[in-house]
Amino acid sequence: MANIVETTDLTPRRRGLARRLGTRGPANIVLGLIAIVWLVPTVSLLVISLRPEADFGVSGWWKALLHPLSLTFSNYHVLFAQGFVAGGLLDSLITSLEITIPATLLVTFLACFAGHSLVFGRWRGRDIVFLVVVGLMVVPVQVALIPVVQFYRELGDLFGLNPYGTIPGVVIFHVAFGLPFGIFLMRNFMSGIPKDLLEAARMEGAGEWKVFYRIVLPLALPALASLAIFQFIWVWNDLLVALVFLGGNLHTPLTVFLYDQNHELQANYWIISTGAIVSVVVPLIVFFSFQRYFVRGVLAGAVK
Amino acid sequence: MASVVLRNLSKQYTGNTAPSLVGLNLEIDDGEFVCLVGPSGCGKTTALRMIAGLEDVTSGDIEIGGRVVNDLPSRDRDIALVFQSYALYPHLTVADNMSFGLKLRKVPKDEIEKAVQSAAKILDLTDLLKRKPAQLSGGQRQRVALGRALVRDPAVFLMDEPLSNLDAKLRVQTRAEIAQLHHRLQATMLYVTHDQVEAMTMADRIAVMNLGVLEQYGTPRELYNFPNNLFVAGFIGSPSMNFVTMHVNRDGERIHLTGVDAGSSMRVTLTDEQSDVLAKSEGSEIVVGVRPEHLKEGSIDRAGFSAVAQVQVIEFLGNDEHIHVTSDDTDLVAILDAHSTVAIGDSVTLSAPHDSVHFFDPTSGLRLSQSS
Repeated sequence: MANIVETTDLTPRRRGLARRLGTRGPANIVLGLIAIVWLVPTVSLLVISLRPEADFGVSGWWKALLHPLSLTFSNYHVLFAQGFVAGGLLDSLITSLEITIPATLLVTFLACFAGHSLVFGRWRGRDIVFLVVVGLMVVPVQVALIPVVQFYRELGDLFGLNPYGTIPGVVIFHVAFGLPFGIFLMRNFMSGIPKDLLEAARMEGAGEWKVFYRIVLPLALPALASLAIFQFIWVWNDLLVALVFLGGNLHTPLTVFLYDQNHELQANYWIISTGAIVSVVVPLIVFFSFQRYFVRGVLAGAVK
Repeated sequence: MASVVLRNLSKQYTGNTAPSLVGLNLEIDDGEFVCLVGPSGCGKTTALRMIAGLEDVTSGDIEIGGRVVNDLPSRDRDIALVFQSYALYPHLTVADNMSFGLKLRKVPKDEIEKAVQSAAKILDLTDLLKRKPAQLSGGQRQRVALGRALVRDPAVFLMDEPLSNLDAKLRVQTRAEIAQLHHRLQATMLYVTHDQVEAMTMADRIAVMNLGVLEQYGTPRELYNFPNNLFVAGFIGSPSMNFVTMHVNRDGERIHLTGVDAGSSMRVTLTDEQSDVLAKSEGSEIVVGVRPEHLKEGSIDRAGFSAVAQVQVIEFLGNDEHIHVTSDDTDLVAILDAHSTVAIGDSVTLSAPHDSVHFFDPTSGLRLSQSS
């Protein structure tokens, strides 16, 4: 192999390319194909959202690729021009954020506290509590919908505070169902942090809060970032919970907004495609802004 | 600076049958460098962690600077601990690692800066202050861990096997640096190690521990010359002391020792003083200890140990050689100088002068002669 490389007259750069194609070429081709297949629905959605509404019934979306100049932002323009009216795209976007941001923040913070306590706390029964939490992970959301609605109603009867149909009601539900996985993730990640670090910090005068804030939290940042991304995307894409708990509320999240565009005999495809693209953009922004916290080997150099 | 006193300190972990530490009594003077040494599981790290406040005290008292600190949290004990694993904060720079404790104590910024700079200078870390622990070598990390203790200027330095993660060469170098540091700071230091060489080279006094019990506490010379019992005698010194079971005989006025087997070549002639001490063991067996470095080729005409032995293995080490021999089924090790001409299979006469022969009771393991 070495001989062949030496005798062929290739510049170093081309040699590198040749080697790459030689060893990784087939894998790259397969991966490329998979990526294309994977992206087709999203690309088609994007193209549909950029075509005039009238074209939808006339020809397939791929035809538009032959006439790129016919693509237009008019659909976006129409939807955004409606402004913040209840039931409109912008209003739904805001509602989605109102649900997703608190649900994500609450889950990440509570899961961090819980993880710290489960790993570094000094109380009996930590392992049992953790097992129960893991057990809760297998409870499907669907079976809990009706009981929680009833529970909300009880709250309303007893205290006059019925969270049903309100944004906090949805947020509470998402937090409750996001926490088991969050606690599971944070607890397992934190158990990899050497105990020596905490003992060192305690000896140097740090109280439990300082230990958490100055040592554990910075070191758990990669897990925290992944949890935040997961949680954000789950809540953002949720249709079922919003549909059940926001019945009667004029302000609905994007998922419900898109769902509502399906009517019995026809669907507003131009609104669905445009709204779907808008709803994809936000998680992408979140993903790329948190991505830099995925630092591998953040614990390197702590011990040994 | 402060003294440390342990009174009847005991530790029993729940779920363990045997206690980890049994009634430890230890006094460490102000400015003294004391090593706790012993095999793994002997309770030395437990004792250190109890002093540090990382483990609860089952019974007994810990006094630092004349104040009982049993129920005081670590941070109020004015101590610094250098961890075996160093326990550097990986997300902080060297400078931030060192100033962490001072910042928590709200020490003014310029004072922190001064303390970090001077510690960095002592430990040769000035160029590394902006680096993260992951970018440091093992030796540098070790120095940062020391520096973190140093900047706090604690009353007592505690060190838990701080050299065990370094390679052999660096260990010798760092050993000297720590000894130098102690000399310079005149600080009270308690150092835990399983390596008796570290303890011998650095400590003012050594506490030898085994199975949760303090076996002997004394200067390196005391431990080497007058070990209290078989454990200390075997633990201190490398290679370990040779132990031979011998019979105590009376030959007229004088007592002497012979090998247990009939026709054995091993023999110890005693001085009058030793003879008096061993007279009460007449007719029974005792354990005789001789250090390898005290065994010399050839016989002696003075009182002392002598044996004829067959050479089994020769380990050449440059300036000397270790020879492993057998005499009456007893294995002995002797250190001879490298010019020795013995060869494997040779029969050699080995002897040691009377003042380097130790006697121990075989059942209690205690030393049989008057100590020092």
